[in-house]
Amino acid sequence: MDKRPGFWFYFLLITFIFIVLFPFIWVFLASIKPPTELYGEYAFRLFADNPTLENYIAAFTKHPFLRFIWNSFVVASLTTVYSVIIASFAAYAIARLKFRGKTLFLGILLAVSMFPQIATISPIFLFMQATGLRNTYLGLIIPYTTFAMPLSIWYLTTFFQKIPLELEEAAKIDGASIWQTFTKVLIPLVVPGIFTTGIIVFITAWHEFFFALTINTKMSMMTVPVGIAMFQGEFTFPWGEITAATIVVTIPIVLLVLIFQKRIVSGLTSGAVKE
Amino acid sequence: MYDLQLNNPAKSEIHSNYAIDMERYVSTVPILLRTLNREMDGMEADPKQKLENLYTQIEELQVTLNQEELVATRYEEVDQLLYDFKPVPAHLKYAEVDNDRALKVVRSLEVMEQQLQQLKGENILTRPDDMIGLVRAWRISFVEPNFIGLDHYKKFLMDKRMWQALWNTSIFTIFSVSIELVCGLAVALLINKQFRGRGLIRAAILIPWATPTAISALMWQFLYDGQNGIIAKLFADFNLITNTGVLLSTKSGAMFSIVFADVWKTTPFIALLLLAGLQTIPHTMYEAAKVDGAGKAQQLWLITIPLLKPAILVALLFRTLDAFRVFDLIYVLTGGGPANSTESISIYAYKMMFAQLDFGAGSALSVIVFICIALICMVYVKLLGSDALTRRMH
Repeated sequence: MDKRPGFWFYFLLITFIFIVLFPFIWVFLASIKPPTELYGEYAFRLFADNPTLENYIAAFTKHPFLRFIWNSFVVASLTTVYSVIIASFAAYAIARLKFRGKTLFLGILLAVSMFPQIATISPIFLFMQATGLRNTYLGLIIPYTTFAMPLSIWYLTTFFQKIPLELEEAAKIDGASIWQTFTKVLIPLVVPGIFTTGIIVFITAWHEFFFALTINTKMSMMTVPVGIAMFQGEFTFPWGEITAATIVVTIPIVLLVLIFQKRIVSGLTSGAVKE
Repeated sequence: MYDLQLNNPAKSEIHSNYAIDMERYVSTVPILLRTLNREMDGMEADPKQKLENLYTQIEELQVTLNQEELVATRYEEVDQLLYDFKPVPAHLKYAEVDNDRALKVVRSLEVMEQQLQQLKGENILTRPDDMIGLVRAWRISFVEPNFIGLDHYKKFLMDKRMWQALWNTSIFTIFSVSIELVCGLAVALLINKQFRGRGLIRAAILIPWATPTAISALMWQFLYDGQNGIIAKLFADFNLITNTGVLLSTKSGAMFSIVFADVWKTTPFIALLLLAGLQTIPHTMYEAAKVDGAGKAQQLWLITIPLLKPAILVALLFRTLDAFRVFDLIYVLTGGGPANSTESISIYAYKMMFAQLDFGAGSALSVIVFICIALICMVYVKLLGSDALTRRMH
């Protein structure tokens, strides 16, 4: 704490970071090896003798990889936008109003977000089947509400609570309606919170595997995680293409995390620590 | 609680009541009557009498069925469609029939089949098998209700594979969560200092969290690979495992692999949560302890851990629930194998529903998952004291 960190500290720190990043580094090194160097004795060499972008080209040309990215992007952003908008109303109400059963409501919200997906899939799947929503974007966005909405309400409530009540009272005295107070006073103040919530919801939706796997089975409607998992053939593992695709999807995540790390951390931990 | 199987047409929908397959019904009965008529032509009085009885019986059954308004109206529609050689749309295909009435008709059809068998034995019919076949077709055009109560649960309670899956899930949960917690705490203590490059460390920590599980599972599959995997090779070189194939192709190796991959992915995240908790502990407490002569270990046990307890318990709760419903990691990394040794309960339910298309049994399994999670929740709430959770909300 007050001591200056010494040698062992940096040693341990670097070891930890190395362990964390090792898979990415190795996968990256493998992704630029030509297929002949991926197997056998070459497999364990650090650097490729003949570095190549062949695998990256193959990932995009042999599979509808761009399509997967687009699908993921559409589904994740629509889910984020609509759940954050609705959740901001709900969160404002929860943060400001005193109503009976508030604790119960929040408890149920938490329970819903912890609900095992496997327990909800059978009715959701049968519903999507019956309404013909399988292999559509809407077919994923609807089930994604089950985790996106509780998550957004949960985070946004904490952000709304941090805004001093006096501001609203002042607005009221100045003759602002509730709607005006909400849109003109509160929303500008919670923009950082909305942003943080949006990033977290987006990443969670981007991750989602189970619903995407079961509901959108058509190749052209798959999302990135499912799509990459389907790269493998029945007996072959095109490791070159898989590693290249992995790196392609990891880079935007790394950038996102590097730019917004402070926000993400504050958002993620706001629930865990009492303030 | 229903026997719902998507690959079995008679069971692909929920039927709480008896129903009749209109298409079958409409296409069999008129032919049956016509065949009977033809048999009766040029027959002697005695057997003819029997067949006439059957004929009237069939007509009576038709009248009984037509008392169901739905059956009567749909009969016309379906008949017209079949006459025009048009396909019967799904919503017209089935008509619900009152349970008692349906049972009555089914019984009399059974009796009728026996009578025909008898007549066949007496060798007086020209085409006995046709008629028997038609009567039988009519009988099976009735769809029994597929409500089976708790039978699925009874079956699963005695199912070895279910217990195995539950056991695997528990092993995975206990090992991964406890290792993650210990490592996470260690890392949090390590980086709870002022040093340069904190932001970078934080970003590095977030990367595994931000990588989709399915993709990190693929990466690990590449690293564990028996022939070309670097981790497998390193472990073998350090004599941790006997050969490079152990990690993914033996039972304990595969379980170790998924726990290790999960620890890699979530330890940094837990460290982050605990670090936030650590930063709320006031500095002055440690200084006071130092003045009182407490060593590092004592400071850890007497100050850090007790004050961090709420954060630890919350992290523990969320991680346990998450680990218990593990799906993507195992699905991609091992697929539940080898020999179902890493099959979690979610994977089993998934296979039941989407590989065997048995939604009834799969749903029963997922209810079992749900019950387990509810139990875990209850235990934690007891431990945490319910106010610890609710206080976070206000």
